[in-house]
Amino acid sequence: MVLLQPDPFLNELTSMFEHSTEKGSVWVTLKRSSLKSKVQRNKMKTAGEPLDYRCLIRATNGKKTISTSVGAKDHQKFQASYATILKAHMTALKKRERKDKKKAADATTNKKDGESSKKRPKKV
Amino acid sequence: MVYITSWDEFVERSVQLFRADPDSTRYAMKYRHSEGKLVLKVTDNIQCLKFKTDQTQDAKKMEKLNNIFFTLMARGPDADISEVTGKEQMETQATKRGRGRKQ
Repeated sequence: MVLLQPDPFLNELTSMFEHSTEKGSVWVTLKRSSLKSKVQRNKMKTAGEPLDYRCLIRATNGKKTISTSVGAKDHQKFQASYATILKAHMTALKKRERKDKKKAADATTNKKDGESSKKRPKKV
Repeated sequence: MVYITSWDEFVERSVQLFRADPDSTRYAMKYRHSEGKLVLKVTDNIQCLKFKTDQTQDAKKMEKLNNIFFTLMARGPDADISEVTGKEQMETQATKRGRGRKQ
């Protein structure tokens, strides 16, 4: 299990996605953790908390596992980059076929953009 | 393995599950490009909730859920989420439990 910094982790994650397009899957798991052993945690509890929790992110393609941990300060930046990577790679998912067909069928006079099924623009 | 059909129900129950036991709840995602399928799983090792999809629009909803979980996990289960806007509120509002870093 390779523990990386957030930025290298994102790079590795991107290459994982790229390499598993033909076959294979990518698993990403999120868990909250303080990254300390039980002994240390108990010690800190009796001493007087403040336990620093981080978000542990793990990714694997079945063969290789990478991980990183993100704290409260950097989680927003990480989350934005992470969302971008996912959006860029999850291209195999289907778009709403039914909506497009329905739109094409009964909206012959009302010409709407067939691709924006997610946004659903309201035109009168 | 319980597959939930409604997205909103999945989100609500996962957040509840996390808030009830933040230390053992985890959120897993599996994506298979060859099949074009996405599966989400939230479990606390006692109960398990799953959601399966092949729709692009669900991937967008999942991004929002990712944001929610990131916020909850990094800041603490008492974090005020209310989707994305909740994060901005969090900057000014201090967490009551006094866990971790206070901004």
